Amino acid sequence: MKEKIEEIKKSAKEKIAAITSLQELQDLKVKYLGKKGELTSILKGLGGLAAEDRPKVGSMVNQVRDELEKSIESAEKAMKAKALEQRLEKEKIDVTMPSKVTQVGSVHPITQVIEEVKEIFLGMGYSVADGPEVERTYYVFDQLNTPIDHPARDLQDTFYVTEDVILRTQTSSVQIRAMENQKPPIKMICPGAVYRSDTVDATHSPLFHQIEGLVVDKNITMTDLKGTLEMFAKNCLGPNTKIRFRPHHFPYTEPSAEADVSCFVCGGKGCRVCKNEGWIELLGCGMVHPKVLENCGIDPNVYSGFAFGFGVERIAMAKFGIDDMRLLFENDVRFLKQF
Amino acid sequence: MKTSIEWLKEYSDIDVDAKELGDILTMTGSKVETIESRGKDIKNVVIGKVLSVVKHPDSDHLVICQVDIKDEKVQIVTGAPNVKANDIVAVAKDGSELPNNVKIKKGVLRGEESCGMMCSCGELNISLHRFPNQIEEGLMILPKEYEKYLGEDVVKVLELEEDIIDFEITSNRPDCLSIEGLGRETAISLGKEFKNPRKNLEEMKVPTKDSIEGLKVDITAPDLCYRYLARMIKNVKIGPSPAWMTRRLEACGVRSINNIVDITNYVMLELGEPMHAFDINSIAGKHITVRRAGKDEKIITLDDTERQLDDSMLVIADDEKAIAIAGVMGGQNSEIEDTTTTVAFEAAVFNGGNVRKTAKKVGLRTEASSRFEKGLSQINAERAVNRAVELAVMIGAGEEVEGKIDVYPTKQEIGKVEFNPDKINGLLGTNISREDMVKTLESLDMKVEGDYVIPPYFRCDIERSADLAEEVVRFYGYDKVETTLIDAETTLGIRTKSQKITDKIRNALVNRGLSEICTYAFINEKDLDKINATEDSDLRTELIKVRNPLSEDYSVMRTTTLPSMLQILSINNSKKNKSVALFDISRVYKDKGQIAEGQNPDEEFIVTIGLYGKEFDFYALKGLVETVMQEASVLRYEVSSEKFNYSYHPGKTAKMTVGKDVIAVFGEIHPEVCENYDLPENVYVAEIALDKLVKYAKIERKYTEVPKYPAVERDIAMVIDEKVEVGEIEKAIQRKAKKILEEAVLFDVYRHDKLGLKKKSVAYALRFRSKDRTLTDEEINKTMDEIIKELETNLGAELRK
Repeated sequence: MKEKIEEIKKSAKEKIAAITSLQELQDLKVKYLGKKGELTSILKGLGGLAAEDRPKVGSMVNQVRDELEKSIESAEKAMKAKALEQRLEKEKIDVTMPSKVTQVGSVHPITQVIEEVKEIFLGMGYSVADGPEVERTYYVFDQLNTPIDHPARDLQDTFYVTEDVILRTQTSSVQIRAMENQKPPIKMICPGAVYRSDTVDATHSPLFHQIEGLVVDKNITMTDLKGTLEMFAKNCLGPNTKIRFRPHHFPYTEPSAEADVSCFVCGGKGCRVCKNEGWIELLGCGMVHPKVLENCGIDPNVYSGFAFGFGVERIAMAKFGIDDMRLLFENDVRFLKQF
Repeated sequence: MKTSIEWLKEYSDIDVDAKELGDILTMTGSKVETIESRGKDIKNVVIGKVLSVVKHPDSDHLVICQVDIKDEKVQIVTGAPNVKANDIVAVAKDGSELPNNVKIKKGVLRGEESCGMMCSCGELNISLHRFPNQIEEGLMILPKEYEKYLGEDVVKVLELEEDIIDFEITSNRPDCLSIEGLGRETAISLGKEFKNPRKNLEEMKVPTKDSIEGLKVDITAPDLCYRYLARMIKNVKIGPSPAWMTRRLEACGVRSINNIVDITNYVMLELGEPMHAFDINSIAGKHITVRRAGKDEKIITLDDTERQLDDSMLVIADDEKAIAIAGVMGGQNSEIEDTTTTVAFEAAVFNGGNVRKTAKKVGLRTEASSRFEKGLSQINAERAVNRAVELAVMIGAGEEVEGKIDVYPTKQEIGKVEFNPDKINGLLGTNISREDMVKTLESLDMKVEGDYVIPPYFRCDIERSADLAEEVVRFYGYDKVETTLIDAETTLGIRTKSQKITDKIRNALVNRGLSEICTYAFINEKDLDKINATEDSDLRTELIKVRNPLSEDYSVMRTTTLPSMLQILSINNSKKNKSVALFDISRVYKDKGQIAEGQNPDEEFIVTIGLYGKEFDFYALKGLVETVMQEASVLRYEVSSEKFNYSYHPGKTAKMTVGKDVIAVFGEIHPEVCENYDLPENVYVAEIALDKLVKYAKIERKYTEVPKYPAVERDIAMVIDEKVEVGEIEKAIQRKAKKILEEAVLFDVYRHDKLGLKKKSVAYALRFRSKDRTLTDEEINKTMDEIIKELETNLGAELRK
C-alpha cells in the first residue's frame, strides 16, 4: 500500500512538472484529487485495511494529498504568470509612434507681453481698463493739455476720421475717461492698440500697442513713480534690472522723464542690443500735469498723480530677439509657434 | 540743435571731454543725439607755399610743383587746374593721414617723383564756403595771411579739430535752440559760472523812431504778429564773412552765404531769434505792412519756388507785394544782392501755432519756422536786432544807422509763479532745502521774491509750481530721486468679467492647438467686394473712412474681421504652410451715425477662428465654437443653418443664437471668396461676437448634487427623410422626454439604397434619470412611446425595430 501511494505521488509530481496548459493541470487535479481520483479512492478503500494500518495509511494519503495540492497550486500560479507575461509581450506597442493629442497652439508675443505686464500690475492693485480706439480729439488731445496747434496733432502723426474724431495716438484717452468718471484713488493700466501715421518698416507700424499706467491719490510723489517702475522693471526684466530717469518733456506731465533700464541682454556692460550704451530706453513718464487733473475735475492742490507709458512691440522685440516688427503682423505660423 | 563745444566755451568753462559733457547734459534734460569729432583723423598736413609750377613733360594735365613747407622744399605732382606759383596751400606730407582713412605716401607719377599731395577742401572735410573763392575740383587756396604759418600743422592753424554735439531739444524749451541757452544749461550742469558775453537790453538802449531811412512799418494783424522790430545799416559792403563766423555756422550745420545773410543766421543760432534781412531799396513805397495774405496771393521764396498763399497766412508786405512769408521764409524779390547798399534787419515775434500751420500748408519747415512755432519771447527779439547791427559793424559789413522801428502791439507778460518749497518736495518726494532750490532757480535767471518766483523773459514755459519742481529736480539730479512705494489706501487689482472670459477663451483655443494672430484694424474698402458683401450691407454703410490713410490698404476701419483672417490665412498658404489653425481676438468698428455728431462709433470685440488643412472640416470648426461657448459657460444655444451670408458656402454654414442674439456665424468660406484671397477651397472660419457672449456668460459656479438614482438607457433608431436635420429630431425628443432626459447621443447615421430614396437611418442612445427617484420601466416605456409618436407624426420617421 505504501508503495502504491509513493508511486502515485511520484507519477503525479512528474506529470505536474510536465504540464503545458492550465487545462492539463485541471485534469491532473481531477485525476488525483477529485472525488473519483486515485488518492480519494485509496481513502475510500481504507475500510479494507487492517485496523492498525488505517490511521497510518490515512495520514500518509493526506500528507501526499496536501503535497500535491501545493504543487498544483504553485504550478497553476507559475502557469498563469507565464500566460500573462506572454500576453503582455504580445501587446507591446511602438511608443515612439506619434501621439494623438493635438499639439498646443501659441499666444501671440504681443499678447504675452501685455499679459505679463497686466499680471504684475494686477498684483500691485491696479485695474485694467480699455476704451475706444476711434476716439474724440477731446480725450486724446484737449484734455491732455495738448493745445490745438501742438505739433502732436499734426496730420503726419495722426489718422483723422473727421476734425474731431481720430484713431487714438495713445491710450491716455482711457485715463482721461477714468479720471472724469471716478474719484481718486485711481490705479490703472490701459493696454491697447494705438495708431500713428508711420509707414510700415522694420521698426515702424501704423498700428502698434501701448500700455499706459496712471495713479492718482493724495501724496503721490515722483519717488513713488520711480519705485513703481523699478519694481515693474525687476519683475518684468529680471531682479538685477536697474532703472534710470532722464529729464524729458510731455505736455501732460510735469516734471516729465524718460526712463531707461539697464540692458537685459548684457546687464549694462554694453552690447549690440543696447548699442553699447548699457541702457535701453523703456518708457516715458512723469507727474500728471496739474492742468490735466483740473480738466478732469480733480483738485491738484489735494491730489497728485503719476503716469507712464511704453510701446509693447519694442519690449516684445527686445525680449524675444525679434529684429523686424513686420514679423509680428505677418503671422506666419512658423513664427507664431515659437512662442 | 547742433553746436560746437568751442562756441559753448564762450559761456562756460568746460573741463570735461565731449562724451562726458554729453552725458552730463543728457541727465539735466538736453539729450544728446550724436557727437561728432572733426579733425582728429588729419595727421601730418602742413601749410605750404607753391614756389613754381611747370608742365609735366609726359602728361597733358599734370604739373610739377616745388613747394616750400618751411623746413624743406618738396616736389609734388598734381593734376589740379587752379594751382599757381605763390599760392598758400595745405600739403599732405609723405606718411600723412586724411579723413576716410586716406594715407599719403611718396610715389612716382609718370616718371616724376611726388613727395606728397596738395589738398582740396573736400579732402580735408572743409566746406567750400569756409574761405572765399574756392572751387570743388581744385586745391584749397588759402588767403595770403596764412603764409605766416608756413610749415605749421593745418589742424591747429585752421582749427579743424572740433567736437560737435547734436542735442534733441524738447518743444517746451525754444530758448535752448540757441547757443546762449545751451551755454546756460552747460554752466549750471557743470557747476560753473554762466559767463554772459552779450550785452543786456539796458546796455543797448536804442531810441524808437517812426521811420528810419524813409521806411515805415504797420501791423494790421496784431493777433498774429506780437512785435516787429527793424534796424538798419548803410554803406553796406556785401562780401564773405570772417573765418571765425563761417566756422561756427558750419559747425551748426548752416552754410555761409555772405556777410549779411550770415549775420542773420549767426544771431538766430546765438540768441534763438530767427532774423530776416532785406534790401530797403526793393521795398515799394518804403512801407512794410504785416498783414494776412490775400486769398490768391503768391510769392516766390528764396529757394526759387512759387508758393500759393491764403488768408490764414501772415505775410510781410510792401505796398505792392508780399516780400516774406512771416516766420517761414523770405521772398526772392527783396533778397540781398551784391549791389545792396542799405539793409534792414528784421526781428519779429509771431503767433507760434499760426507759423506752424502756415509752414505745413506751404510745405516748408525751416530753421526759422521750427523756432517760431514754439512761441518766442518779444523781449529777446529786441536783443537780437541790436546784436545784428553790432555784428555788422564789428565785421565791417556796414555802418550803424541810429534808432529802431518798433511796432509792439502785444507786450510780453511775465507772471509770478507760486514758490512753495514744501509743495515742491511733496510732489517730488524729496527733501531739498529752500536754499538749494533758490540757488538753482537763481542760476536759471529766475527772481525769487518771497513766496513767488519771477521767471526770466526767455522762459515762457514756466507757469506753475510743478514747472519749478521740474527745474529744481533737473539740477538736483533725476538719478538722486529715491525709489519709494506708494503709501496710500489699498486698491484691488481684479479682472473684469469680460477680461476673465477673454482670457479663458484664449487659453482654451491655444490648448486646442490654435495660434493667436495680431492683425491691423484697417482694411481696403475693396476687401468688402472680395468677401461678397452685398451693396446695401451694413458692412459698407457703417464703414469708417480714414481721411489721411497711408494707402488704400489701410484706408477704412474694418466692419468685419473676415478680411483680416482671410488675408493672414492667405499669407500662410502662400508660404506653403500645409495645415493652419488660427484665432484672433480683436475689434470691429461700426459707425451708426455717431461720428457725424462728434461721438464715438460702436466698437465690438470679435473672436475669429480660421482653419485650413486636411484634418479640418465643418464639424472640427463647430467643436471649436462649442469650446468657446463652454468657456463662457453658455450652454443653452441654438444652431441653425445660415444660407444668406454670401461670404460663406450656403450649404455649410451655421449660426449660433442665444435668445434673439446671433452669437456666432461659422462655416466653410464661399469658393469665390477663397479664390479672391488665393486660398484653396475648404477654408473654415468662425466669427463669434464676444461682447454679446459675455452678456450671457456666467463666471460664478454653484454646486448641484451628483445623481443618486440610477439611469435607464434606451436606444432608438429610425429611418427619416434626408432633409430632416438631426437638430429637429433632438428637439422632438427633448420636447417629449422633458425633465427626465439626461442625454441624447447620436451614435449612427447610415445611408443605403435599401432605405429608400433620400432617406437616412439615424440612431440615438437616450439616457433617462430622475433627481428624486428610481425611474420605473412603465414610466420609461410611456415616455418612449410619446417620443416615437412625435417623431412619426411630426417628422415622418419610421421606427426601425
